[in-house]
Amino acid sequence: MSDSSGIPFNNPGWAGNTGEFQLTEAQVRGDDYVGERPKEGTHPATAATYPYMLADKDPSAPLFEGPYRERWDKIRSRYPDARSALLPTLGLAQELRGYLSPETMEEVARLLDLSPAYVRGVATFYTMYNKRPVGRFLIQVCTNISCNLCGADEVLQAFLNNTGTELGETSEDGLFTVVEAECLAACGFPTCVQINSRYYENVTPKDVPAILERLKTQGE
Amino acid sequence: MAYPYTHPKEVRLLSRYFGDPGARSLEGWKARGGYQALPKAFEMGRDRVIEEVKASGLRGRGGAGFPTGVKWSFMPKERTRPHYLLCNADESEPGTFKDRELLRWTPHQVIEGIAIAAYAIQAEQSYIYCRGEFFETTQVLARALEEAYEAGILGENAMGSGIRIDITIHVGAGAYICGEETGLMNSLEGRRGQPRVKPPFPAQAGYRGMPTTVNNVETLASVPYITLHGGEAYRAYGTDQSPGTKLFCVSGHVRKPGNYELPLGFPLMELIEDVCGGLREGRRLKAVIPGGSSVPILSAEECWDCLLSYEGVAKAGSQLGCASVIVMDDTTDIVKQVRRMVGFYAHESCGQCTPCREGSAWMEKILRRIEEGRGTEEDLDTLMEVAGQMEGTTICVLSDSAAAPVKSSIMKFRDEYLARIRTGERVGAA
Ligand SMILES: Cc1cc2nc3c(=O)[nH]c(=O)nc-3n(C[C@H](O)[C@H](O)[C@H](O)COP(=O)(O)O)c2cc1C
Ligand code: SF4
Ligand code: FES
Repeated sequence: MSDSSGIPFNNPGWAGNTGEFQLTEAQVRGDDYVGERPKEGTHPATAATYPYMLADKDPSAPLFEGPYRERWDKIRSRYPDARSALLPTLGLAQELRGYLSPETMEEVARLLDLSPAYVRGVATFYTMYNKRPVGRFLIQVCTNISCNLCGADEVLQAFLNNTGTELGETSEDGLFTVVEAECLAACGFPTCVQINSRYYENVTPKDVPAILERLKTQGE
Repeated sequence: MAYPYTHPKEVRLLSRYFGDPGARSLEGWKARGGYQALPKAFEMGRDRVIEEVKASGLRGRGGAGFPTGVKWSFMPKERTRPHYLLCNADESEPGTFKDRELLRWTPHQVIEGIAIAAYAIQAEQSYIYCRGEFFETTQVLARALEEAYEAGILGENAMGSGIRIDITIHVGAGAYICGEETGLMNSLEGRRGQPRVKPPFPAQAGYRGMPTTVNNVETLASVPYITLHGGEAYRAYGTDQSPGTKLFCVSGHVRKPGNYELPLGFPLMELIEDVCGGLREGRRLKAVIPGGSSVPILSAEECWDCLLSYEGVAKAGSQLGCASVIVMDDTTDIVKQVRRMVGFYAHESCGQCTPCREGSAWMEKILRRIEEGRGTEEDLDTLMEVAGQMEGTTICVLSDSAAAPVKSSIMKFRDEYLARIRTGERVGAA
């Protein structure tokens, strides 16, 4: 790998996990503070924020029923018009189904009284809406400048080698899809890798097997 | 030692509680002096809050550095239609990683800042436009907002003032251009996040055509301090033209990268050599990008006496931008890194303007050709020409941003390009 020795980055995980500090993963990520968040959303102000990249998806899950209907109603109540609620609605649909099929976009269009062509036009503008199914774990390696200076290309290659996939292709067991990402706003903790909803920071090529093992055994 | 790296030269007005999990909760934040500024703002009244922010000289931390108090005073005095405040948390400028830290370590600081600003510009509804990738961050922020609602700090009758202050988290979906303020407004309206032609300016016609103010997370996070201690106290730090402290996001080839809060005007070399622990053993400085990938690159010589203020970095030949300092030592392959940055802009161009859409794509192609050792000297002229045509000709400045690294690197590192063209030889490895 390119010369990043001498920079005290080792353990994969989270910002600050360099062996010099005394915080736990839960403390840094905020898990201990956030706690369980219910499906129906708690307050309408925050109903759009749930982790829709969770690993377990059901492409045929009913949209906006039961608790999810409640949550969507809360989301809708925070916008002055239906169209403004389009992004959070697409987000909720992807949280449930894992990707946005043409049928899903049509359902969203009907709900918001928009045309399916309009919804498709918007959805295709944004990279985070999956237009086709992805692996259980979507591994996005930042290769932008700050990470790149510290060896991001080698980290990307290590993920591809260790999953046995090509860029953007899903592994045969359906577990992993590795893609290249733009700057993830964690440039001081290179290389930054986003896996579903989590950031893995300070990742080096030698950390990759352990990260993949952790995903297989513990999920995100 | 506590995470993150800190340094005695820092003045930690905003970042004092980074790495302190106890500061996240409402209770913990109050114990650390939180939520004293909002009631004070209600007491002071709108006009005085705006005057105080004007007096502080606070300049927008989203990149452009426009004075915040002045921006607020553009909002109509009489509210005849809804006013909106949009907090720009779309942080995606390569090299920038401060807003995420503010949001996840000190969510209540940001919430209080938004509440004060919303009060000052008479916005009953504010949105925090969070970049879609920030799942963990938005969970923390959401929990804090829920606490603030439960405690009656927000809502119909914020802290018993009789004033309505509602804040909603809006989650983006992966598009750098939604950080541009009019692109952000379009995205918030459920459209493609394409920038709008200005004028009209947001204060006249913004979100849904209503008077709107867009402010960066760090800008708003600075507001509680200014409200509580006054504009004069804030001016105790920084320079006359660049008052206050700023979070410097240092990345690349330094021993201790991270966010450091320093008074504006701090010497760049001191930041690198002292605060960040210097370069690695035996390495020499090659170049620095002082404000995120959108600003011109500085050669090592240009860094020697560069002061990190808006005017100081301009004098050195670049811009302070978001104060995202990307440090490159002599292992750096400039051609490759410029190609990578331009690739970013080619990917993120929204496609509305021909010079931006075509120019960024062509520059990436030519740069890749040079990187692979198949370039010609004429390619450098073509690059300069294309970059020149991309400046000042488009709806937003993304186009200028794509041109900046190309032009500045060809001017300052021409030898490196020529070596690659003539011999295919790589100068650095990184
Ligand atoms: C292409 C582009 C991307 C931008 N991205 C961001 C961003 O991610 N965050 C941000 O705060 N400002 C961003 N800006 C600047 C905003 O347009 C706007 O100036 C800023 O949010 C205003 O807030 P401030 O006055 O507090 O700095 C961007 C501008 C451009 C042209
Ligand atoms: S300059 Fe580029 S990003 Fe900005 S509006 Fe034009 S095409 Fe879109
Ligand atoms: S460059 Fe990788 S996170 Fe910013």
